[in-house]
Amino acid sequence: MVRSKAPSKKQQKRGIDFKKIKRKLGRKLPPPQNATNTEIKSKAIVLPEQSVAAEKTGLAVSRKGLTLKELLQQTSHHNSKVRRDALMGIKDLFVKHPAELKSHLYVVIGKLRERISDDDKLVREALYQLFKSVIFPGCNQDYEGPLISLMMAYIFCAMTNFSIEVRLMAFRFFDLVVQYYPGCFFSYAEKVLQNYEDILRQNKFYVEDKGKLKNALAGLVHCLSLLTSNKQEREKAIAEKKVLHAYELDAPTGVSISIDRLKELVQVLIGCFQEFIPLFNSTTELDAQSFHCILSILQSIDISMEFLICSILKETPQSKFLQVPDPTMLDQTFSSVLLKKLLGVFPLNPKYHLFGKEDDRFFVLNILISKTFLHLREWINPPASLFENYLEFIVNALLGKICSDTISGRAIWEKHLPSLLPFIPELVLEVAGDWQPRLLEAFTQTFKLCSPDSSLKLSCLSAVEKMLIPRGDTLDLDANDPVVVDYQISWIRELPILLILLGDKHPTSSQVVLRLILKVGQFACSISSRAIEYENIQYSIMEFFGTFQGGNICYGPFTKLPRDCQELSLSCVYYFSNINLDLLRSIASCFLCPELEPFLFFRSIEVLQSAYKAGHIQISDQLSFLITLVTRFNVDMESFRTFQTFKSLTCIVFSCLESMGDGSLILQMVEELILEQILLNLPIVNACAMLRVICKLDSKPTILSEKSIINLSNFLPAYLINVAQHIPEDDNDSTFSNCVHKRLYYLLPCVLLFDRSPRLLNIVLDMMGSLITGSSSSLPTCGYIQYQYTTDRLSQIKAIVSVLLSMHMDDKMRKNFFVFKTEIDHILQSIASLQTTNELQMNTEERHKLQLSCDQLKDIYK
Amino acid sequence: MEVVIASSSDDAGIGCWDLRTGAEKLRYKTCASPPHGLVSVGGRFLASSQLREPSASSGSVLFWSWSKPQPEVKSFPAEPIKPLAANSLGTYIVGGGSSGNIYLWEVATGRLLKKWKAHLRGVTCLVFSEDDSLLISGSEDGCIRVWSLFRIFDDVQSQQASHLYEHSITEHSLPVTDIVTGYGGCNAILVSASKDRTCKVWSLSEGRLLRNIVFPSEIDVIALDPGEHVFYAGSRDGNIYIVALHAESKPSKVFGMHIIGLLSDHSKPVTCLAYSKEGNSLLSGSEDGMVKVWDLKTQNIIRMFRHAKGPVNNILIVKPQSSPNLSKRHGSLLPPPLEKYANSSDKETDNKAVIALQATISSTPEPFYYSSQLINDHIKELQQQGSAAAEIDVERLKLDCKRSMQMLQQWKKMYDNLHEFCVDELLDGHQVPGSEGNSA
Repeated sequence: MVRSKAPSKKQQKRGIDFKKIKRKLGRKLPPPQNATNTEIKSKAIVLPEQSVAAEKTGLAVSRKGLTLKELLQQTSHHNSKVRRDALMGIKDLFVKHPAELKSHLYVVIGKLRERISDDDKLVREALYQLFKSVIFPGCNQDYEGPLISLMMAYIFCAMTNFSIEVRLMAFRFFDLVVQYYPGCFFSYAEKVLQNYEDILRQNKFYVEDKGKLKNALAGLVHCLSLLTSNKQEREKAIAEKKVLHAYELDAPTGVSISIDRLKELVQVLIGCFQEFIPLFNSTTELDAQSFHCILSILQSIDISMEFLICSILKETPQSKFLQVPDPTMLDQTFSSVLLKKLLGVFPLNPKYHLFGKEDDRFFVLNILISKTFLHLREWINPPASLFENYLEFIVNALLGKICSDTISGRAIWEKHLPSLLPFIPELVLEVAGDWQPRLLEAFTQTFKLCSPDSSLKLSCLSAVEKMLIPRGDTLDLDANDPVVVDYQISWIRELPILLILLGDKHPTSSQVVLRLILKVGQFACSISSRAIEYENIQYSIMEFFGTFQGGNICYGPFTKLPRDCQELSLSCVYYFSNINLDLLRSIASCFLCPELEPFLFFRSIEVLQSAYKAGHIQISDQLSFLITLVTRFNVDMESFRTFQTFKSLTCIVFSCLESMGDGSLILQMVEELILEQILLNLPIVNACAMLRVICKLDSKPTILSEKSIINLSNFLPAYLINVAQHIPEDDNDSTFSNCVHKRLYYLLPCVLLFDRSPRLLNIVLDMMGSLITGSSSSLPTCGYIQYQYTTDRLSQIKAIVSVLLSMHMDDKMRKNFFVFKTEIDHILQSIASLQTTNELQMNTEERHKLQLSCDQLKDIYK
Repeated sequence: MEVVIASSSDDAGIGCWDLRTGAEKLRYKTCASPPHGLVSVGGRFLASSQLREPSASSGSVLFWSWSKPQPEVKSFPAEPIKPLAANSLGTYIVGGGSSGNIYLWEVATGRLLKKWKAHLRGVTCLVFSEDDSLLISGSEDGCIRVWSLFRIFDDVQSQQASHLYEHSITEHSLPVTDIVTGYGGCNAILVSASKDRTCKVWSLSEGRLLRNIVFPSEIDVIALDPGEHVFYAGSRDGNIYIVALHAESKPSKVFGMHIIGLLSDHSKPVTCLAYSKEGNSLLSGSEDGMVKVWDLKTQNIIRMFRHAKGPVNNILIVKPQSSPNLSKRHGSLLPPPLEKYANSSDKETDNKAVIALQATISSTPEPFYYSSQLINDHIKELQQQGSAAAEIDVERLKLDCKRSMQMLQQWKKMYDNLHEFCVDELLDGHQVPGSEGNSA
């Protein structure tokens, strides 16, 4: 409808204006005037804040305001300064926004890896720092696979770069990757070692740039050490897994390094080592960098030789059973190179003796060479003189003669000597003549002298264990050599002393010592001198549990060590074939320690009970131990938990006593002891427990002796009055926590006793009667530690009445009371007479109350 | 018919009940057995070591036949024997001495085939593996050792090797109280319990620790579920803990890792357990003298047997094999007593080789294993008997053979004739329908 036709337009214009209009071909006609504009125009939606700078809000930016994308682009900038700044920026950004790293990880790595072989040193360094401080710590194990494969190609590329600098840096990068993902080394091991070999062959740069070489070598050491440490970790993992039979690969996890490759590497390393030998003869001091280079070289050689031997042993199956190394298995020329160029130059000594520090450095190097030698000694048939050289060195090293006397020298000695100690047990068996006593003497010196919590002590202990228990399950029985036996005895004697020295500050070391003591105990044959030594340990180990010093208990480390150590030490106790009373006493003293967990009470009773059953404790000792536990246990009446513990403790003691034999016989044995204890003013809870023990063992009619009955009758009135005064009467609505104070719990043993021995009841009632009349002014035993005991007669009388009332609740007791009606009547009458004379000066309310309870009592008898 | 057998450390005899009906059977007298000291030898008779005074110079092992309450055979080994075990066929009896020696006797002759120093302290339990090839022993010093019977009798290798055992496991810190083995050859598991409040699961072939379970109390006895989903551990606190092996377990805070439940009814320590396949039930004996039968599905007690006042310390579930009329006719069917010392005649030949021979008349032919010495005796016996009677026998057999041959010939002839006839018939028969067809 809208569009009109063009010709009509033309005519109109001509009519208005006579000017001739030139029209170019192809030009569009102007729209007709009446045409409706159908174009739709729109402008961009403009928000008021929008600007160039704010475009990045919501995006993570670096300090300089650049986004990740921009920064990544800049990393390939031609200007090295820009590249470095970009890397810094990325680091900055990731530190601020850690989440960015996870979401863009692959993109970032994909871009950054190109910079591994960057020409500029500073850029590479910045990249290294970026990976080290931010990227690797930031991403977890899940990304391992793809991340490594992304990086590795570029790292290997850089390893073969023309510039040595880049190559060295590539090794550092590889080392970094391995540090975070140790598993990846095995898949690239062959290739990496090849690259190391290549770079080490270029001996031009050693002398120039030792710092770089040091770094590269440190990486090599790290990689190689993975070869040997791999196994133990796997075993640890198995013990913790949840499935019993999981699918396991039979093949070792990807360690595919051929023996030849390692041999090559070792030869190259020996070549490097040779380069350094002139340094020893020079007059100048051995500088730190060369020292570290040599150290790394020696370490690498040592580790690779160790691995080499292992893999050779693995490849020849017959050696698995015989375990005898065969010198022919190692290539002859190879071993001669080793012997001549490395082991033969031992010991390394500075030609011109300068400072103490120098000494320590050479000591470290010598230790390393000795270690390699000890690994290899059976494979290379060293000449005897060389062997003696090494032995001399080892003995001197053990005695600490080589190191300087300074503190740092001592630290170095303690740090590096442990690497030699694992060889001592084998050496002792191997060496002939007077070397054996010399070695043993030196070792014993070291063992005794080194500080208790050092790693040196730990490795000494493991060497001791190997020598005491050679096959891991029997004490060396056929070592009849008196010299060896003497040393063994001195080591065993050292153990408890060490244990006490360690105290409670070094639980891991204590655990090792305890384990060793336990093993000695387990595998000591009954007749050998070592068994006797083990028996003697119990005298020195007492201090470990606790000792009495002037009436006070001095708790040993036992109470504060972690639970596994405590359990171990209890197991040690089990193996003493004749546990003496003093040790039992010191263990019992530990129970007084409030910090000890209740679990341990039960555990130690259990262990000691089995020791008793196995005949390691005499019956009287065990009985007095059990009784002591019950009497001495501190019960905090306020705390429900300790009361519960005490209750279960008495239960366990009961079951122990029961399993020990016939109740009446046991009672005869403990009767005197128990009564002696009871009369010692025990807290009410413990006294009650003792009475319960008597009841448990006694039968009806009682088998208690006349003397005990008299003793008990002296004690019981005081006990009963105490119960009445301190334990409120049982309410029917008593809550759960209230049952600590159940009166019935305390009265029940008395009820049982009275039931079994009417005579006892008779005497007790008589005594109560005389108390009321005042004919015996005070109780025979009075005064409880825990409670203030009131001698006030009025309260005593109240207590007696209330006890009698409570006891009447029991049916059996009521019957018994009827037999002694006269005595009770006597009590009631005396109370009545007291009331009339008002001797007690009661006020009306009290009088009324007393009267009420007396009436109650009277009612029962009507 | 499954029979429950229980013995006690008190001299209360051996109780015997029918598991299904609960009826008490014969009570065997005079038996005071140590833990693991009661064993049924191949289902043929009962054997039990006896508790002795510690000072006693010799041990005592008694045999009971199923039909008589009195012990019929008494033997007195060189030292007190505590645990006793027999292989599943009842060829050997193995006993563990209190000094750590293990004794291996051949049942049929009573000969002491081997005695060796196995442990430094007393042996506490002895178990054969499922296929009877391995013997596992536990000791008072917490050590467990796995012995291959084959290697023990291999003199050459035992002289060469530094030790006789296959594995020596020394992880337990206190005496081992019980050991059970699972099924499945080289993948079999071994579960050991100790006074150190732990049970440990091992791989039998590798001696490797697979699992460590810590209990709230000492475990005296364990029993394995045949499917190895769980095992049951009877403890000193009177509970029977159910522990997951292949079953799924959530870490529970109540009892500890892997412990998924408990059966609790005994007031006193549980001292023995036995699993019965009949009705999927578990039998438990306790120090209170009761034997309880648990239905494992519902975890309820379905039956109780009262044994004695004293503690029950052994339960067996047995299917007695001997038939009563046989024993009446022959008097005693039991083997001779176990010898005290190894016989010097062992050395004369290589007669320690073990070969198979079926020696007793039994309805089902099963391979029995005896030493060649025994076989030599048999051969000698045969040779002595083989005079006149044997010749007559041979003659008769020869005649029989001849007759049979003649019969065979006849049969053959008849068969040939028949065959020929049949072939003819068939061919003719074929022609007939053909000809009929043609004619049609």
